Amino acid sequence: MNWLLTLPILLPMLVASGMMLLRRRPMAQRLVSVLGMLGLLATAITLLVTVYRDGVLAIQLGGYAAPYGISLVADLLAAIMVLLAAMKGTAVVIYSTVSIDAEREAYGYHPLLHVLLMGVCGAFLTGDLFNLYVFFEVLLMSSFVLLTLGGERGQVEGAIKYVTLNLISSALFLAGAGILYGVTGTLNMADLAIKLPAAGQPQVANMLAMIFLLAFGIKAAIFPLFFWLPASYHTAPAAISAIFAGLLTKVGVYALLRVFTLVFVHDIGFTHGLILMLAGFTMVTGVLGAAVQSEFRRILSFHIISQIGYMLMGLGLMVVLAWSDTEATRAAVTMGLGATVFYIAHHIVVKTNLFLVSGVVERLQGTGRLDSLGGFYASRPVFSLLFLVPALSLAGIPPLSGFWAKLALVQAGLRLEQYGIVAIALAVGVLTLFSMTKIWAAVFWAPDPAERPASEERPASEERLSKEKGLAMMIGPIAGLAGITLLIGLAAGPIFEVAMQSGVQLLNPQIYIDAVHPVVSE
Amino acid sequence: MFLLVLAGFLVAAIAPGVERVTGRLAGVVLAAAPLTLFAMLLRRAELLEPGGRIEAGGAIRETLHWAPQLGAQLSFRLDGLSLLFALLITGIGGLITLYAGSYLQGHPARGRFFAWLMVFMASMLGLVLADNVISLIVFWELTSISSYFLIGFDHAREAARRAALQALLTTSAGGLAMLAGLVVMAVAGGSWEISELLEQGETLRGHSLYPAMLLLILAGCFTKSAQFPFHYWLPNAMEAPTPVSAYLHSSTMVKAGIYLMARLSPALGGTQLWFAILAIVGGATMVIGAYLAIRQTYLKRILAYSTISALGVLTFLLGLGAAGGEAAAGGAAPVETEIAVYAAQAFTVFLLAHAFYKATLFLIAGSVTHAAGTADVRRLGGLAKAMPLTALAAGLAAFSMAGFPPSFGFLSKELLLEATLKQPSLAILTTAAALLGGILFIVVSGLVAFGPFFGRRQTESPPADASSPTEASPHEVSFPMWIGPLLLGGAGLVCGVLPHGIGEHVVAPAVTAVLGADQLVPIELALWHGFNLPLLLSTIAILTGVGLYVLHPQVSRLLQSGDAAHRFGPEAWYHGGLEGLLAVARWQTGLLQNGSLRAYLRTVLLTAIGLLGWTLLRVDSLPLGIGPWPEKPEEWFYANSYRLAVAGMILLGAVGAVHSGSRLTAIASLGVVGYGVALIYALYGAPDLAMTQFVVETLTVLLFVFVFYYLPNSPRQSTPAHRLRDLLIAVAAGAVMSLLVLVAARVQIDGRISGYFAANSVDVGHGRNVVNVILVDFRALDTLGEITVLAVSALGVLALLKLRPRREKLS
Amino acid sequence: MEWIISIVVGGLYAAGFYLLMRRSLVKVVIGLVLLSQAANLLIFTAGGLRSSQAPLVPEGAKVPPEGFADPLPQALILTAIVIGFGVIAFTLALFQVAYKRVGTDDLDQMNSTDT
Repeated sequence: MNWLLTLPILLPMLVASGMMLLRRRPMAQRLVSVLGMLGLLATAITLLVTVYRDGVLAIQLGGYAAPYGISLVADLLAAIMVLLAAMKGTAVVIYSTVSIDAEREAYGYHPLLHVLLMGVCGAFLTGDLFNLYVFFEVLLMSSFVLLTLGGERGQVEGAIKYVTLNLISSALFLAGAGILYGVTGTLNMADLAIKLPAAGQPQVANMLAMIFLLAFGIKAAIFPLFFWLPASYHTAPAAISAIFAGLLTKVGVYALLRVFTLVFVHDIGFTHGLILMLAGFTMVTGVLGAAVQSEFRRILSFHIISQIGYMLMGLGLMVVLAWSDTEATRAAVTMGLGATVFYIAHHIVVKTNLFLVSGVVERLQGTGRLDSLGGFYASRPVFSLLFLVPALSLAGIPPLSGFWAKLALVQAGLRLEQYGIVAIALAVGVLTLFSMTKIWAAVFWAPDPAERPASEERPASEERLSKEKGLAMMIGPIAGLAGITLLIGLAAGPIFEVAMQSGVQLLNPQIYIDAVHPVVSE
Repeated sequence: MFLLVLAGFLVAAIAPGVERVTGRLAGVVLAAAPLTLFAMLLRRAELLEPGGRIEAGGAIRETLHWAPQLGAQLSFRLDGLSLLFALLITGIGGLITLYAGSYLQGHPARGRFFAWLMVFMASMLGLVLADNVISLIVFWELTSISSYFLIGFDHAREAARRAALQALLTTSAGGLAMLAGLVVMAVAGGSWEISELLEQGETLRGHSLYPAMLLLILAGCFTKSAQFPFHYWLPNAMEAPTPVSAYLHSSTMVKAGIYLMARLSPALGGTQLWFAILAIVGGATMVIGAYLAIRQTYLKRILAYSTISALGVLTFLLGLGAAGGEAAAGGAAPVETEIAVYAAQAFTVFLLAHAFYKATLFLIAGSVTHAAGTADVRRLGGLAKAMPLTALAAGLAAFSMAGFPPSFGFLSKELLLEATLKQPSLAILTTAAALLGGILFIVVSGLVAFGPFFGRRQTESPPADASSPTEASPHEVSFPMWIGPLLLGGAGLVCGVLPHGIGEHVVAPAVTAVLGADQLVPIELALWHGFNLPLLLSTIAILTGVGLYVLHPQVSRLLQSGDAAHRFGPEAWYHGGLEGLLAVARWQTGLLQNGSLRAYLRTVLLTAIGLLGWTLLRVDSLPLGIGPWPEKPEEWFYANSYRLAVAGMILLGAVGAVHSGSRLTAIASLGVVGYGVALIYALYGAPDLAMTQFVVETLTVLLFVFVFYYLPNSPRQSTPAHRLRDLLIAVAAGAVMSLLVLVAARVQIDGRISGYFAANSVDVGHGRNVVNVILVDFRALDTLGEITVLAVSALGVLALLKLRPRREKLS
Repeated sequence: MEWIISIVVGGLYAAGFYLLMRRSLVKVVIGLVLLSQAANLLIFTAGGLRSSQAPLVPEGAKVPPEGFADPLPQALILTAIVIGFGVIAFTLALFQVAYKRVGTDDLDQMNSTDT
């Protein structure tokens, strides 16, 4: 069953290539795109179920034993991430069949989307550090093109900042990979976990840890490296914003999780203490930034940053193990790591949903500025509910998914006596609620300032029919994602169980290493 | 019990549909839901059967799994306290639903209103029945959220939206603090079930984190129950429709904090800290609330402030029960002390009495406004003739609120005074405070209930008040709107006259639960206690109060002058705090996210230098690869001359790229750098690499020329100071990278994986060029990715060059 | 010998970073190219500059002669060069379009999406 690991990479690539041949036939392209994404989703589900049942899966490409060949490894974290990417991709692709204009489609929107997912899944599944760089570049390049597809001024300006800062990240990554090879002689991550401590150079290892913290930190948009995000995310069409928002930063977070639980665990007091501190700053700057925005998607973009802080918090809590490695603290740290995984899952679903909602809002009223929008609750109550679910979930209102995610982090933090970060996390939670209600009050509750009469939303019959049908395709995925959020909240127990299992795997890297079983060199 | 709560949510889901179908009778139909729950609760409690477990002071528990790793279970506990609250919630809820059906007749969003009301009711029910800390928090937050939607029901008005937000932020902030406190308590007490935590009282009270957990939990209770200084949101919440104010903001939601304090008092109560905080905060709220009440002129605001005062009384009583408790038994639960019993008794009776009359008064306020067209008490009067039934209910409620015998309210005041008089210390102070509150309550009841119906209008001509319509002839309201107030007001009388029944069946089990006693605490409620001090004090209070009411028109002028204090009160802090926070946010965001890519780059680079530099400094001995100084410098120089030449060439090229004024020179320098690098590759055994580098570099330079040839040369744009600053940063970064390389180059271990590649290139890979075999065979996935990047890049360039944005907005 | 090259690497990084912080788009792109050159050279150096012998297996042998240069960093750099080229090509196109849209290559005037 291990060949299953290659599918999330191969399938999108084949679908993308196939679609390049269909450039002149948009309907066929859309169909293939949706089917391809559904196939990816099916694969991802199978993968997760297999990993949950059978443990960590690994395969050596070309049959060359680790660490010589490239390994593909799926532990629970990777499998969960792949599933989330597939879910997100499905939602967005269905949405974008009606929201993306014909020109963008002709220039390869759909193939690019699939290549993006190929890069993402590859990054999640690879077990080789340089291969991670390559997949990062794949997904980065696709994101560059998607961001600028259309060539509007805003897109281009945003893209310049996005491209420049991400290229620095790549340059740093390369430097780190090169030095790491020079110091350990290997690129396989499981092998690195063995060889880096064996090299006996803790300070050099710290230097390397910093390089990777910087490189992945830029990607994950942590403080103070996040500037590219609010400058660029809101400039692209809604579907593209949506796919970026949930996914790109999470790849960075994934990479941080992976290297800081597998490879750089020698000086936890320093590295993870730093991460915890950065988590706090990230939470605060993000939410403060969101509080003063007046445009729908910019608020959401800043919130991404804030929520990344929460995810880092779970990782940073590992710092306690530096001075207190008892069974109780290990259990609490596991809860913290599990909370991070849960948080990532919750956030991807919620953030995608919110961006898609903003897309519908902008389409219906033509703007994203809060003071120019209004009246949705009165005219479209069901749609308003579909906004409410992810918004309240983001703010941490029970019984939605966000509440459980925050609760787990708070519990882990309190058990580990890290009162400062817990206080910050809770305070930021109130501010998040403030932002979300600000959007609700301005867009949904307040009356429509343009005073569009309800009749204007029902134009002549044919136009109306296609518009309504189009809306249905857009609202469908939104409803689906909202349903998933509700489900995660109501079924928090079993889902958190999976997350905890993932946390256990992360805290015990030997499980990962054993699955890959790199050849021990003399 | 879970099903009872769930039923409420399900009814909420179908409420809009039901409303549309049943039309006029929607209120009646939907009210059936809470009333059914009321009946089922009674039955569940086996109240109606003699010798039921609740009566004997016990409890019924149910548990369902939810998320056990996080301590979350759906556990429910039905004992005297929760039964009391549950009956209030469902009973009053049913009457309110009935009322609302008529009150909101014709409103287009009436169905949504019912839905949120049901959600609220179900959440509140879940809250009081919850036995698991996490479930409690879940329901607590749900009540805050449903309250937000109910307060902001008239969402087209800015004032309503703002009031809703204020309430939500205040209660949520408190709620999150409470979350932290409850988690600490659960961890300290070793269980997530409240029933088990209640047994752990001694452990908890003696725990080092006790003050912290107490303060955090109380933060939640005080914000929810509008205690000073968190009371400011409640009067503003009067923007809600009247049924909401009657239900949430007088009888149920604001009592949630009170409920929690009562529920946790066996575990956390009885200490000096508990006594001090609750008595002071409660007492202050009691007095301040009442004082502020009589300064108001709008019906609902008067009622709101008097509710705040009543909540203060309840908090006060919960605190009083602890007096002397700690001293007496050294930290044991306040079970046996007489004071505790008196206080708990007063608490329960006051809770009930207040719920009865306050809900009545709010509903009547709604009826009056509905019928007479204004809510200003100065313009209301003599409505008794037009609205006899409502007037009767008003009179009953006023009696109870003012504490006239033989109402239930009178009984509650007596018990309150007995509790304060029994205090070991500070009896005079507490009694005086209680009396003051009582007097002011009498004034309030006069203003709100007596005046509009039986008194005369104070002002005949309306003040310049454009919002109120001309007063049509007032008329009695419809059945659904007077039956509720009448029943509740009547309850206030009946329970006063015949207190024995309610005392034995409801009050006693509740008191038992509050005290955390193992056995039923016997309670005897009687109207007549004999000629004693409380009776005397009550009489004085009544006379003073009536006098004050009569003099009210004159007194009110005096009261209005105290407005200055209001400007600096807690509400001002809320606004100031919020504005201040936003100002900080604006400053911070402007500083960081200022739009300039260069600023971003500087920040990133400085961070990189900082982090990397710091780790470099921590290295005790940098294993630099410099090596010993050569013995014969000239020989060494000669041997390495070409290497040095290439290095120099690259550096010169770099400098050229930086400094040249013309674009072409810069691009050419770029080429020089690239070729120099290729030479280095060639010199150090990488011919493939060198060839690729040559080719790619040539292509790059060509591309550059194509793209930038036609651009005009731009003059130097930055100031010398800026250039120096950037230079320093860049040089520092470069130096850090150099050091990194040196450190890495010295730390080399043997046994690299490349040995495998070299050994197997021919046999396994069937190729003689090891690098090629690696690319094509051993690490083929990398090459696949690389090709993909090229393809995507090509697509991107095509799109950029060909795809022009449309002139109009893309639809 | 590495220290000479490491100075070169540092110098290239410094030049690249400096150019990146300039106001003119053209300089920024040049800086990006320098940066990628520097990164590649860094990998090369970190891999060890011990030998000038290419890792080629001569006729009749099974392994390259003793003391060959490490082939793996070379393969990595090759990949990085190609990827870098793809990226730079796109970036050039992007910057050209940016110039057309905004009318100038002054970065300080390109902040409409941020403020």
